[in-house]
Amino acid sequence: MKRLAAGLAMGALALSLPPLRVLIEQSMVWHMLVQMPLLVLAGWCAAAAWLPASSHWAHRLERWNRFGLTGFMLAQMLTAYWMIPALVDRAVVLPAADAAKLASLWIAGVALQQGFQRAPLAVQLFFVGYGLPMLAWLGLYLASTDLRLCNAYTLASQLRAGQGLLALAAALGLAWGAMVWRQTVNPAPRRAAGRAP
Amino acid sequence: MKREHALAPRDPVQGTQGLPGTFAVCLAVLLAALVAIFQATAGGTAFTTETLRRSAVAQTPATVPDFAVVDAQGRHRGLHDLLAEGGKVWIVDFVYTRCSTLCLSLGTVFQQLQAQLAAQGLQDRVGLLSISFDPLHDQPPQLAGYAQRMGMQPGLWKLVSLRSETDRRRLLDSFGIMVLPAPPGDFEHNAALHVVTPQGQLVRILGLGDGAQALALAASLTAR
Repeated sequence: MKRLAAGLAMGALALSLPPLRVLIEQSMVWHMLVQMPLLVLAGWCAAAAWLPASSHWAHRLERWNRFGLTGFMLAQMLTAYWMIPALVDRAVVLPAADAAKLASLWIAGVALQQGFQRAPLAVQLFFVGYGLPMLAWLGLYLASTDLRLCNAYTLASQLRAGQGLLALAAALGLAWGAMVWRQTVNPAPRRAAGRAP
Repeated sequence: MKREHALAPRDPVQGTQGLPGTFAVCLAVLLAALVAIFQATAGGTAFTTETLRRSAVAQTPATVPDFAVVDAQGRHRGLHDLLAEGGKVWIVDFVYTRCSTLCLSLGTVFQQLQAQLAAQGLQDRVGLLSISFDPLHDQPPQLAGYAQRMGMQPGLWKLVSLRSETDRRRLLDSFGIMVLPAPPGDFEHNAALHVVTPQGQLVRILGLGDGAQALALAASLTAR
């Protein structure tokens, strides 16, 4: 897990540096559907590797992250910030904004993992039920408007990114559903393993 | 009772323990995010670079840089010299003569503006200026061809190109225009109507659909 986390982070970072930078400069899909999710995933894996629920630091953090509320709030705010078209443009044009994006979306991944790790289902449902429709709405808007929202990207690129965001929202919804299924509706394998003689 | 967190991290957080701290941190995160978003979007009014560019210019006019431009007859002159001509307020747009998409609608908008200028008798107070951002391709012959296709009347609507790539960079940066190469051989760019005073001040940026408003604004600026 630690190696995976480091590898994902390196991959996301490489997209902001030459020679791969040209990909995120020219394609909104590479920027919003490859690099940004990769950063969040890298943060998630890092948190899962270094801050599992049983660890000392996760335990100390819980006093400020009861029911995972702070984790979810932080992740929600950081991802919402980088959905604003003007800020996507800034990350393409200004290296300082790009660095802020790299750091903050990685932190969003850490926060998201710490949120899910502590949150009861009701809290998870609240944030998932807010965050995913927001993502899907943005995708629908990008895919359907004739307005170019990012001066850095062509309309064709924006259209593909919008369709991709819709697919991403659907995929994340399914992934969450599967996770809930495994933890609650059908926890039989785990129980059986616990009772094994 | 001795509690050693480092060795015994297992004492579970229970009940409402930790909730006040959590709420306080959540509130701080929320406030910080709102401030950051408020600050990055001109107080929640502009969520795209284009609207930010327009509101920034509306609040603080920007000075257009000065450099040599060339017209369809091959005459060179300074941009500020051209803008100062006759004390006219200019409605400026950016084009490239090979364009087959957006600049065509820009061209149509400018054709309508040209007709309205003449109809309202504003030709001595307001002028139309198209600047090509494709200096490598747009030489005087290309400009002449474009002027003819668009039905430009010299007294109402001027068309110029730049002399060098460096001037192009400066010009586009000062106006906040981003030009993207789009296949096949085309460009894609943010298009708008730019109202520029005879003194070379960019005072307002309006959408392509706001031609009448641009004209009224330009006329009111010369009336003063």
